[in-house]
Amino acid sequence: MSSKTSTQTALPRLGAQLAPILIVCAILFALPLILNNDFLLNKVARYLVLGILTVSLALSWGFGGILNLGQAMSFGIGSYAMAMALKLKTVPVHTGSGGLPDFMVWNNVARLPWFWEPFKSLGFALAAGIIVPALVAAALGWFIFRSRVTGVYVSIITLATMVVLNLVIIDQQSYTGGFNGITDLAQLEIFGIAFDAYGRATFYLVASCVALSLLVAFAFTRSRAGLVVQAIRDHESRVRYFGYDVATYQIFVFALSAAIAGLAGMLYTIVMEFASPTFLGVQLSLSVVVWCAVGGRQSLVGAFLGAVLVAGVQGALSESAAFLETWTLVMGALFVLVVLFLPKGLAGLAQGAWRWIVQRRQLSHEIAQSVGQTKEGSA
Amino acid sequence: MDQFFEQIITGLSIGSILLLVALGLSIIYGSMGIINLAHGEFVMLGAYTAWLFRNYFGLGLLAGLIPIFIVVAVIGWIIERFVLSLLNNRPLDTILATWGVGIMLQQAVRLMVGSELRYVQLPPSLSGSMDVFGLSVSSYRVFLFVVAIALSVATWLLMNRTTVGMKLRAIMQDRSVSASFGINAKRVYGLTFAYGAGLAGLAGALVSPLKSVSPDMGTGYVIDAFMVVVLGGVQSLAGTVASAFILGELSGAIAFLQNDTVAKALVLLAIVVLIRFRPEGLFTTRVRA
Repeated sequence: MSSKTSTQTALPRLGAQLAPILIVCAILFALPLILNNDFLLNKVARYLVLGILTVSLALSWGFGGILNLGQAMSFGIGSYAMAMALKLKTVPVHTGSGGLPDFMVWNNVARLPWFWEPFKSLGFALAAGIIVPALVAAALGWFIFRSRVTGVYVSIITLATMVVLNLVIIDQQSYTGGFNGITDLAQLEIFGIAFDAYGRATFYLVASCVALSLLVAFAFTRSRAGLVVQAIRDHESRVRYFGYDVATYQIFVFALSAAIAGLAGMLYTIVMEFASPTFLGVQLSLSVVVWCAVGGRQSLVGAFLGAVLVAGVQGALSESAAFLETWTLVMGALFVLVVLFLPKGLAGLAQGAWRWIVQRRQLSHEIAQSVGQTKEGSA
Repeated sequence: MDQFFEQIITGLSIGSILLLVALGLSIIYGSMGIINLAHGEFVMLGAYTAWLFRNYFGLGLLAGLIPIFIVVAVIGWIIERFVLSLLNNRPLDTILATWGVGIMLQQAVRLMVGSELRYVQLPPSLSGSMDVFGLSVSSYRVFLFVVAIALSVATWLLMNRTTVGMKLRAIMQDRSVSASFGINAKRVYGLTFAYGAGLAGLAGALVSPLKSVSPDMGTGYVIDAFMVVVLGGVQSLAGTVASAFILGELSGAIAFLQNDTVAKALVLLAIVVLIRFRPEGLFTTRVRA
């Protein structure tokens, strides 16, 4: 009896943790059956993609204790990888001679730059959208974590790196489309399936990726490496004394999180039909942190739902510009309140409520039993 | 040769603006361990206060400096008192809280004043140029340099030659022991944060004639200021001053050869590589935590 409870406190039961993920995924796959509006489906798909991005942040922040304020950088890199591949596939109307993208023609670029060449292959682009963000994160992580830089410094450096990359993309207009981003994209086609931004195929693709990233992240948090990462979050030097190479684990979770964010970025390009420097802007990166905090940084499903809910409400309110401005103010206030009074977010609140209900039930059950026993005894 | 000196002076001018903005940030981080992401918004508030004073009260920039300092310091004090002091043992969460406060300040200004660009005039007495080592330099830039150095010296004196500064240094070393000696840590933290915010406000007011004033002007400044603090190392006023001018000269030189964006990217790259070898910053000696 006692050994059973001790394993339970060490690691929550698999079923109890897996159930919310499976329920969310089931709802997502059932959604197109209920929602018969392509425009609305596209909007929902957009929020789901932002949800994946937020899950990736929850992984590094909530589980790894690494507050990456530049999470949108990986997202942006993924988004541009997809956009570059799709740009090279557009019908020749929009392009210069030899399939040169239109903005390059306008900027008097005569030849396709070398780093665009490999994106003629879709397979390369799909791999690059995930691997490049992971490699960039691993390289940055090597400098940060091998130097034993922790806490707030990490946040500043990640934020600054993202801002600089954003500036570089805007500055190098002739190679990146600059401020306008990369527009006029072809549709993604894999195995003969065309992914129209407003089509069901795209929605199912996004929903599958949601399921995939939630499950991969979940599997990681329960793996041995995932447990070490959480131990590092709670007490870094103690884990180091046990002989673990702390930096390697941190770099790994940092890169894994970036890879998932890169995947989300690629999907975002498909859903939005363009890539823009705002995808790696401070505004988005900040919003991701807010969603993650509101939903609950230490819960993957919580972070996901936090993003979908808050971004959804924001989208619904953004019809009127005046309201949107007030909304930003409200979001700032909401964020401060959550940080102050709900450090575990809505997921923490839900868990607390659930535990309370269970305890109440147990308590009333025990009382009923003991009352029964005393009655038997007195009889 | 003239061009070389001109370049040096441009660098000094960039460096003095960096120093003005980074000073408050460095004080707050060094003494309270708080990364204040609302710092850029304090800079912005200072610039708007200068604009407000000029247009509605007819108060010139120079005459307005002390009132501007007080206004922004009071706002900072309120934020420390009602938000940050609740987060005593959660340093990572203070980043988030200050970020949230920053969004609110930015949005509040946007709603009240509008997001149009505003302009603040140069003080007439400083709008000319003067002769420095045979080169003609804008008087206002010389003024900025002098003010930046003066504020650094004032801050050093405040930290090392006053009772409040001594109390603050005691709290930095050991909060509970200093509390047992009757030092009110809450009060000292409140004053420190207010001072840092006031400095940011001054920085905003002082740069407002050089660039246009807008609700999101702070973001750009604050990222550069963070670079200064990371390079200079915490708890080192001299480090902040030196790294501000190093970064100023570096950005100036690279911007001269390439452009501003390339300068920013290369400086960042240099800092990231540097922290691999000196994680504690350039100018601090390693201390045991």
